[in-house]
Amino acid sequence: MLWLALYLPQLPLEVFAPARRQAGPLAIVESSAGRERISRCNAAAQADGLRPGMLLPTALALCAGLAVRRRAPARERRALDDLAAWAYQFSSCIAFEPALLLLEIGASRRLFGDLTTLQERIRCGLEQLGYRVRDGMAPTALAAGLLARNRSGCRVLDRDEMRTAVSDLPLACLTRDAAARDLIRHIGLQTLGEVLALPRPELVRRVGPRLALLLDRLLGLAPDPRAQWQPPRHFEQTLELLGEIGQTSALVFPARRLLLALCGFLHGCGGGAQRLRWGLVHRDRPDTDFDQGLLDPSRDPERMLAVFRERIERLQLPAPVIGLGLRVDDWQILDGCNRELFAGSVADSPIDDRVADSADDRAVDQTVERIDKALLERLANRLGEQRVRGLRCRADHRPEYAWGLCAPGEAGVELAAVATAASRQGLSQPPWLLTQPLPLPAPRGVPHHGGALRLADRPERIETGWWDGRDIARDYFIAQGPAGECLWVFRDRRDGGWYLHGFFV
Amino acid sequence: MVQPVDLDGLKHSGALWQGRRNLLAADQVWASGWRVLDELLGGGWPRAALIELLGEAHQGLPLVLPLLAGLSRQARWLVWVAPPHVPYAPALQARDVCLEHVLLIRDLSAAQGLWAAEQTLKSAACSGVLLWPQQVRTAQLRRLQLAAEQGSCPAILFRPLRAADQGSPAALRLRVRPVPLGLEVALLKRRGAWGGVSCIVPLDRFGA
Repeated sequence: MLWLALYLPQLPLEVFAPARRQAGPLAIVESSAGRERISRCNAAAQADGLRPGMLLPTALALCAGLAVRRRAPARERRALDDLAAWAYQFSSCIAFEPALLLLEIGASRRLFGDLTTLQERIRCGLEQLGYRVRDGMAPTALAAGLLARNRSGCRVLDRDEMRTAVSDLPLACLTRDAAARDLIRHIGLQTLGEVLALPRPELVRRVGPRLALLLDRLLGLAPDPRAQWQPPRHFEQTLELLGEIGQTSALVFPARRLLLALCGFLHGCGGGAQRLRWGLVHRDRPDTDFDQGLLDPSRDPERMLAVFRERIERLQLPAPVIGLGLRVDDWQILDGCNRELFAGSVADSPIDDRVADSADDRAVDQTVERIDKALLERLANRLGEQRVRGLRCRADHRPEYAWGLCAPGEAGVELAAVATAASRQGLSQPPWLLTQPLPLPAPRGVPHHGGALRLADRPERIETGWWDGRDIARDYFIAQGPAGECLWVFRDRRDGGWYLHGFFV
Repeated sequence: MVQPVDLDGLKHSGALWQGRRNLLAADQVWASGWRVLDELLGGGWPRAALIELLGEAHQGLPLVLPLLAGLSRQARWLVWVAPPHVPYAPALQARDVCLEHVLLIRDLSAAQGLWAAEQTLKSAACSGVLLWPQQVRTAQLRRLQLAAEQGSCPAILFRPLRAADQGSPAALRLRVRPVPLGLEVALLKRRGAWGGVSCIVPLDRFGA
């Protein structure tokens, strides 16, 4: 077992202003003993002289434009939960402590190359998500957490080193049990190393079994069972925006953060999402919801973001937006090809030339298809899916029902028999069809369309459709107009009327 | 010192006007399917250019059907932006147009139609783009021409007859008029040739 602990010292602050370091001064207050004190403040506030622990009136006196938020433990827990979803791509075993995330990475270190690469990726990812992190690595969860909180960047790989690594930390880091701490202090001991050096039976007798158990867990001598985080079936995250956003283009940045989190989650589950549901939160009105569709399941945040950009282009904001939510109800397992492994985006693991070559070939093969997909997505999201369609034949002799719209590229699923039957008939039919047949005046039985029409000799009789109540009985003629144009007209055999139904030329 | 000029290269690329009927290189055109029309066009339809067909909205289509049949065999989209009527699937299939690659973009505003045409032209994922614009300004035509060159994809615009008076950056402008024996095609403009000539493309009564 090897645990990586990620400690988020600024979490109370970051849940309010994620990834917005350039924002104005912001402070988080907590009340202790009936007085409001600053618990965390951002860089802008610190530049004005604010410090954690300061009383709120003092802080307001120092910095007039200070934005103040009360600390929200529920929101911090939710943020940790969201982070766990993201981190699930690196480890299948995730546990929590307050403001701390624990990942078991011993099992995944080979997948990601080496520990330094993995640590670097996690650090970069968290930075992109807008969190500053301090990390520690140790064979036990307790020790990893201790190191992350107190000696960031420290890496301990085996148990023998661990005793020395934690020995100069004060005992206060390990336990909040005041009685035990006082007792140890009264003996005259300060650090963990000194406590660990005491003979064990005496120590247990003096301080009780609780501290002894903690020490054992710290060194890995006793099991340390922890509740593991379980991935949810749905992905749902909401981002509260610090200001009100009135322009859709300003939504791209927070959307990117949500998409990064989503794609981390999907990576962990080995899945891809096809339909994303966005929600825009307004102050005094119901949320605006809209869907974003992808042609095939994906977990590529940049591609999703490009589609999102197109999608919000045609969006009218009814009111300023104060929050952005993303929800994915159903995601699919991406069929077992780990393309990124070979493309080198997951790990810079050495790949022999043969594999690299075949990966290149495949990349070339996929290019055409990928361009196609990207184009369709952009069109469908900007214009609406119902406006971007494919065209197909249907097995019917009635012209109105012999064609249909379908999803782009899916016309080929028709049976071959239908296609050949249609092609025999299709040669004598025009490339243009009117959606509604146009009634033609027919003085003395001769149809007119800009002049009298000359009919070709033999009509094509179409009389069918008795089974669904929309039956027709028509004689179709190819007619020539006075200017030489070629029309497709029919005479309805029921009422004897003439209609224009298509154009040849 | 006099710079040597590669005359053959200039002729080949169509950049040199020779003052007589010159033919474009075979790799820059698609055969139109009719010999008379190929002669009028200088070899065939240009491969990456803006083509304007002036006439009633539905009249130009039979002229490009053989071209569409060829283009649709490529594994790329053949895009119809804002067609005036329903393109009748069985008839298209009978004329060898592969429906699988046909992409219809319908019910659009004028601006959306131009946007869609430009995007599809530029994407390099389309073998051809047909567009029935409502109103189009010269600057917009210029953008379409550039997009067609960029995506090396022919853009075929179907415009009303009155647009003949408007100047256009299109590489090829034809006026189409039905006559009893087929379609009369008048050349209004072609790069590297005089306008003003015309021919009659024979169509049988089925428009093929």
